Formats: sequence, C-alpha cells, structure tokens
Amino acid sequence: MLALFSFYNRRTFDKDRGGAMKYQELFPIPIEWVQDLDESMSATVAGWAEREVVSGRLEHREDYDSLLLPAMRKLFVDIGCQAMLLPGELGGGGLAPGGAAVTAAVVLEQVGSADTGIGFLLGNTLSLQSAFGIEAHRDEALLSELAPVFCGDQEAVCSLVLPTYGDGIDGDRGFYGLDYQVAAAQEDGQWILNADGARPQCSGATARFFGIVFGLEDGTPAVALVSSGAAGLSAGEPLKKTGLAASVNADLELKGVKVPGGYVVLTGADRLRELLCWYYMCCSAVCSGAMLASYEILKEWGDTRVIKGKGQVFKENPLVAALMGEIGGRAATSRILTYDLARMLSRPDIYAPAGGQAIYATATAVFKQVSRAVMKSIDNAMELMASAGYATEWNLERYWRDVKTIETYVVPETAALTDMARHYFGLKRL
Amino acid sequence: MRTIDDFTRPLEYLSHFDKYLGKIARDWAEKEVIPIRRGFDEDWEEHRTIEPAYRKLMGELGLQRYFFPEDLGGLGMGQSDYAAVGGYRGIEEISRADSAMGVAFGVGVAWPILIITLEPHVNRRLCEEFAPMFCDTSEAVFAVNAMTEPQGGSDIENLDVLKGSTIQTTAVLEGDEWVINGHKLWPTNSGGAASLFGVVCTTNPGSTDPNDFAFIFVPASLPGVTQGRPYQKAGMAADKNSDIWFEDVRVPVWYRAHGPGDDHKYFKEMVSWGNILSISFVGGAMMNVFELLRDFCEEKTYRGKPLKENDDIAGVLADIATDIDVIRIVGYQGARMLDRPDLYGVGWSDEMVAKARAYKYFACDRAVEDLGRAMNIMGPHGSDRVHDVEKHWRDLKIVQLWLGGKQLAQMETARWFYECETL
Repeated sequence: MLALFSFYNRRTFDKDRGGAMKYQELFPIPIEWVQDLDESMSATVAGWAEREVVSGRLEHREDYDSLLLPAMRKLFVDIGCQAMLLPGELGGGGLAPGGAAVTAAVVLEQVGSADTGIGFLLGNTLSLQSAFGIEAHRDEALLSELAPVFCGDQEAVCSLVLPTYGDGIDGDRGFYGLDYQVAAAQEDGQWILNADGARPQCSGATARFFGIVFGLEDGTPAVALVSSGAAGLSAGEPLKKTGLAASVNADLELKGVKVPGGYVVLTGADRLRELLCWYYMCCSAVCSGAMLASYEILKEWGDTRVIKGKGQVFKENPLVAALMGEIGGRAATSRILTYDLARMLSRPDIYAPAGGQAIYATATAVFKQVSRAVMKSIDNAMELMASAGYATEWNLERYWRDVKTIETYVVPETAALTDMARHYFGLKRL
Repeated sequence: MRTIDDFTRPLEYLSHFDKYLGKIARDWAEKEVIPIRRGFDEDWEEHRTIEPAYRKLMGELGLQRYFFPEDLGGLGMGQSDYAAVGGYRGIEEISRADSAMGVAFGVGVAWPILIITLEPHVNRRLCEEFAPMFCDTSEAVFAVNAMTEPQGGSDIENLDVLKGSTIQTTAVLEGDEWVINGHKLWPTNSGGAASLFGVVCTTNPGSTDPNDFAFIFVPASLPGVTQGRPYQKAGMAADKNSDIWFEDVRVPVWYRAHGPGDDHKYFKEMVSWGNILSISFVGGAMMNVFELLRDFCEEKTYRGKPLKENDDIAGVLADIATDIDVIRIVGYQGARMLDRPDLYGVGWSDEMVAKARAYKYFACDRAVEDLGRAMNIMGPHGSDRVHDVEKHWRDLKIVQLWLGGKQLAQMETARWFYECETL
C-alpha cells in the first residue's frame, strides 16, 4: 500500500497542517466533491512541501540535484504519487472512478504550490497514465508490466510528446493543424518511429517513459508508450528555458524506434482529446497551486510594508487594494474552474462523453482561462512588489517563469483558440 | 525584407550624430553581444563574458564620454539640443541586443551625470573633476544613481508627496566636507561595478523642505563605501544591483551637484530622463523581438503554411508591430521634449515628470503584454532560451517594475492630468 494511502488509513489528518482545505475559506472549491481521502492526501503533500521544498528553498534556490530531485523522489516514490491512478490490487492508489480526477487536482494543486516544475512533471505522468491506468481504459497487459515500475522504488516520470508547429509545408497530416513530431510506419505488426528534434513537454533527458503522439497511416492520432531505454531513442543536450527547473528537458531523436502494438495506448481523436482533457486539467491544477503560493507571498508583503512614508500599510492603499482585489478574484475563479473541470472528467455520465468535442472545448477553455489568470495575477503581484517582485530572494519571480513556461508548452495559443472556436461556433474547415 | 529600420520615428528630431551613433552601437551589438548574450544568465554574478563588451563600447569606442563638454574630452552632447534624442538612439541599439546593457550604459554614462553636464545647469567644476574618470581611459566606467533605501522603496522618488522627508541617508557638513552615512539598495551598476555614485541624501532628516534635499557625488574608491554582492534576479543579468553602505564617507563640499533647492529641482529632471530612456530599453528590445518573431513565423508551419500566413497569428503579429511602432514614436517624442524645454517646458516640471511617467508605463505595459503573446504564439519555443524572446520578456518585466513601479507612475500621471490634490 502506498504511503499516501497508509497515511489516510491512520486518519491522522489535521487541518492545521495545510493542504487544499487551508484555502477553503478564502478561495472555496466545491466541497461536496472532495472526499476525506483527498483532504488527507492534500495534507500529506502539504507536509512534504514544507519539509522537502519550502524549508530549503532559500538555501537551494532551484538547484535540481540537491533540492528538487530528492524532493521529487520522495513525492513520486515514497509518498507514491506516481502510482496514485493505478489499481489498488497492483499496488497503486486504487482511486474510485468517480473521483480520480478530483483527487489528482487536489494533489497537483498542492505540489504546484510548492514547486510548479515538479507539479508539471507529475501532471504529465498522471495524464499519460489516464490513457491506460484508470478504470475506463484499464489495459491489463500494460498494467501488469508497468505497475511494478510505477509502484517500485525509483521515480518514473512520464512525458508527453504532443503535436506542435511543423518545420515545413507538408499538407494536412497532423492533429487540428499541428504536425506530429514523429513519423511512423507500420512493419510486422509494430510501429517504427523516427524523429529528429522532437520536443517533449518535460524531462526529455530524465523521463522514464514518453507518451508520443503520432499519426496512423490514415493520419488518425495515436499515442505510443516508449521507454527512455528503447533502442534508437536518444536525448540531446538539456535545453535552457525560462522556468520549470525540475524538468531537465531535451529534444529527442528517434531512429527506427520499435513500438509493439501493445504499447500503443490509444488510437483515435476521441481518445487523444480525452488524454488532453486530463492534461489540461492537471496543468490547470498546477497553475492554480502557483497562484496560491504567489498569493501568500503578496499577502505577506501587503501586510508588512508601508508606503508614502506615513505608516500606511501597503494593502490599505486604495490603488493597491484594487489590484489585490483583481488578484484575489482570479485566484478564486481559477480554483473553482479547475475543480469543476476535474469533476466533469470524473463524471462523464453527468456531463459529456470523455473525449467529446464539448468537454475538450471546455477543458481547453479552462486551461487557457486559468493559466492566463494566474499569469496576470503574478504579473500584477510583481508590479505591486516592484524590485522584490523580480528578485530571486522573494521567490515570486520563480512562479512567474514557471507558469509562463507551462502556458507556452502545453498548447500553442492560437491552436487552443481554434480548438475552442471549432466547438463553440461550429467551424468546419479549421 | 522588412527590417527594424522600417519602424517609424520623427526624422526631423534626429541629430547629425544619429547615423554615426546608430552604426557604432549596432555594429557593436551584432559583433560583441548578440552572439554571446544567451550565456549572460549564467554570468550574472561575475560578468566575465559581459565586461569585455562594456569595455569595447564605453571605453574603446568612447561612448562614455557622451555627456561631458568637448574641451574636457567629452562628446559634448550634454550641451547640445540633441542630448536625449541622441542618447535614445544609442541605447535603443544597445538594448536591441540586451536591455540590461542598455540600462547599465544609460545609467553609467548619463543618469547621475546629466545633473552636472546638461544645459542650462552645467556644473563646470564637477565636470572638470569627473571628466578624466570617463574620458581619459579605455576601460568602462560606470556611474550610479543611489536613491532607493531599505525602509521606503520608491518613496524617495515620490517627491511631490513626500518631498524627501523619508530619506535616511544623511549628509552632514563638517568644515569643507560632507560626511555621508546611509544604506542604499538596488541601483544599477552597483554590486562592484560602480566607480562613481550620485547619492540622494538629506541634510535634515524628516524635513519636507526641498532645500534639505542633497545630491552628492561619491567616488566608489573612498573609505567607508561598501558595495555588496549582486542580487540574483529574474533577468537583466548584465546589470548588477546590490546594497551599498556609506559609513562616515567624506567628500569635498563642492561635490554637491548644485545646492539647496536646485538639487531637488534637477533630481526631478533625472526622474523624467529615467522614464524616457526606459522607453528606449523597451523599444530596442522590442525591435529585436520583431526580428526574432519574424524569423520564427517564417520558418515554422501551422495548418500547412508558415505561421505568419495564418490569419489568427497574423492578427497578433499586427498588434505587436503596431505597439512597437507606437512605442518608438512616443519614445523619440519624449526625448525631443527633454531636448527642447523652450518648446515643451523644463524637464523638472510636474508636467514633464507626469508625461514621462505616463509614456514609460504605457510602453512597458504594451511591451510586457506583447512579449507574453509572442511567447504564446511560439508555443514551447517561446520559453526556450534558444530563441531569446523569453530573455526580453524577463528583462522588460524588470523595466516595467522599476522607477517606483506602475502605481507611482499612475499616481503622478493622474495628479497632473486631473489636478488631484490628496494623492
């Protein structure tokens, strides 16, 4: 049994330890969808965040080797978050189908608050697992092989390789105008993948598995699960990027990588959209966590600073208060939207078929809304804190860089807008 | 192919020096900075790769002589009608490569120096004192405007309301020397880079009398001056910032820029200049963003054609180009207003301070938003340091936040345009 769930069984949950409920009075979420289990997990992760990340932040900054990697290992392996979606009898979390997405949101929000980059890696991992590990898509053959890995004693980060812009004009072979990053051909019942410079969402240099979107012969999207140790797969030099220090990303080269049919974890646009819905929800939760962390930083600043040399507490200035009002409002709506989306994904029987155009448009809208709102709020918080806003010492700018990196990585802006318009306005050609 | 030179500026404002200065700065940027700037983030503390570029620009090419009179070895621009417009052009080109270098240059050779070199308030004795430091060397020499303090942040710049009453750094006259004590934060070119400080002091702590506001020059080499280690920041690696402590630092009495009343007055002019030149940091960087985005959107494809040929992306590109064009026109207009007080009023007037603040926060807000949109268009490549757009995004966010931040700029703008009386 995972440590996370053992903790729950001991029923030692203490609201004072933090977690999602810490913010319930300020930025409420639909509480009836949150189970005791979620609260317990949130508190466990909050304890991890305080011990493993926050307390060492000033000393270690964003150092991957000395701070983030050990912290990530404890979260993924010791606490067991990397297996939380997998069946209980195989050593995973065994979450009930009707609540798995909400539980994931609770955990990811908490992780994102501590370290947005680690949250992003966990979001990638859970999103890929949603294609074969949750009740609706349980793949027994894959699970029997992979559950021991995810429930083992090594971290197993997953990373998605999604369609993106192309490098040439090659017609309409991709997914909604974006090009597949790998070329695929079928041979003797397995797929052969080739790519030069495919950009994963995260951890190209360190991930254990990649979920690579490719096109079947007729262009239909599919996702291949490829181990980082697969013959013909290699990672380039780590990329320098704006944020997400926990993600040691690198472009991938695939030279004739063989993917047996059983490792194609999904086929079809509906299934890919469903995976993307999960991904957008996970990333929204991580961004929402960054929002809560930046709220706390600004709150402390607003409570303790004075301006105009007259002892006026910073937050009591009407102009400052107006901006703080906007920030608070965005935090509140971002949380509600994220949990609403998680609930919709958990209950397709009530809302919309998983992977349908409607829920896909909603998921895209929620991710765009939340990531934009969080970016805008951190932008505003930096404005209010001026020099302290961009000084590394105050920790705020880290969230700003991290969330911007997520915003750019997850889906190109115009593609997301077109995806939304396609559903809301019935586009036929885009 | 369209280039950055296709962006508009009021051509009749330009000096005879414009083409020369522009070419020097552009050649330098393309040869000495752009090929290596991607490594600056890792060099934020030591400046091993950054310093040679400064040396070339400021010392060897001699642009640090810009403000000083020609008979003292300077370029004499401080005494011309083109000091601001010429400076704007040079800094725009530098900032195209790296806005932190534009800042370090602008502050290092202009900001604190202009209070003694600019007509009609040239302090000839101080020019003679400090010109050799800048004009007789091939090494880069940086001046610093030391104003922000730990307890009050931007309060010191909020002169209309606080009138210098929150300044904690003191200047006490003992015989024919000022004795200076205090602690400053954040100034550009501190962290060990500075050779000369312009220090905002009070001769009577808590006073709201402008006569007690003092701007005093302090060479960094004097006993009692201590510069801390540089701060780590979100961007702007080529600009060092740190704490500075002044402990019983003694300077000659004539190191005060002008004296009671005039220091306060001309410091307000420095605020105007700081804001207008900030637009040149923004405009230069944004012109480079245009170049980077243009290349990216020609190379990458979406829906089977180059990004720029997609209507939705073209719409965003249009917004960004529009803003760059407008920012450039506004920036040059602001600089022209500083150069021609006979037409637009003096640089230290409440009107000029308010308008400079307004132009600066307009430019910064547009640029930061545009950069965010540019990165979003580029997808995963937007936050990829290979493309440098994210560097400009991190750098310009810092420009947006300094000089008191947006809220102070809004208050000063509203105070003048709407004649607010209690803000």
